Amino acid sequence: MRMDTPPILKLRHLLAAVSGHGKQHLLRVEADLLQTTYLLNKAIEDLSASFISVHDSVTKQQQILDSLIEQHHFNHAETKQLEVFKQNIVNEVNAVITGLQFQDLTSQLLTRTVNHVNGLKDLLQELVTHDEVVELGNEQEQLINFLEEVDRKLHASSHNLAAGSRPSVKSQDMATGDIELF
Amino acid sequence: MAKTILAVDDSGSLRQMVAFSLKAAGYDVVQAVDGQDGLDKAKEKTVDLVLTDQNMPIMDGLTLIKNLRELGSYQKVPILMLTTESSDEMKAKGKAAGANGWLVKPFDPKRLIEVVQKVIGS
Repeated sequence: MRMDTPPILKLRHLLAAVSGHGKQHLLRVEADLLQTTYLLNKAIEDLSASFISVHDSVTKQQQILDSLIEQHHFNHAETKQLEVFKQNIVNEVNAVITGLQFQDLTSQLLTRTVNHVNGLKDLLQELVTHDEVVELGNEQEQLINFLEEVDRKLHASSHNLAAGSRPSVKSQDMATGDIELF
Repeated sequence: MAKTILAVDDSGSLRQMVAFSLKAAGYDVVQAVDGQDGLDKAKEKTVDLVLTDQNMPIMDGLTLIKNLRELGSYQKVPILMLTTESSDEMKAKGKAAGANGWLVKPFDPKRLIEVVQKVIGS
């Protein structure tokens, strides 16, 4: 860049460079987030399928066991022990169903973060999008107008980004949510 | 004859868990991937209960409820929201739209079944 380049052009070059570098890094963040989402979804999908398959087998096994209990005389302690196992399985199945839902909550947060990254890319684009033609002279006034325009666009873009976001998931633990009937 | 529940959620894994829990309790389950799909499926067959998420693409849960309540066949069908949203403001909007209850994710299958049984019976 030549030394006699007007300040407004220098500023535009600087902002374009900030925008370019920022977008490059955001693209990498976005790619990693999308890959994380894919891996998480795939893992939970496979886990869910295995869980349902295991549950199906355990249910069939339980039916056979119930039939055997009817046909044969188990002593009281054995019958009671089998009931305890049965209840344990029910409790664990419920816990797995509750636990698997956290993938959905995590996925929502990842989607929200990807949307924010995309919004930030748009926001950075505002640093290089401007219509006014640079004229010689009135450099200070042009600089002020330019900065005001960039500031206005950044505010609008930031507002749109915030308004378009889904509410954040607030869960802090593995507890289940409230229930309210109207 | 088993009662039918329409489960609307854009998350495949969540729908799978809801359907799994409800089927284990003896209900038939129809699944829909968003509000519009839910509305289309509700029109195809009147179900006994609708269980819907709020934040979904194309059509959200509140809009789905408003649309269902405009249909003659869905004026008295119970509709429950199952969502991560838990603010009083959103619950009030749900109630105003015509929801009969609000369940915050993640759900406990045992409690979900208790609520469903309370609302539509076994």
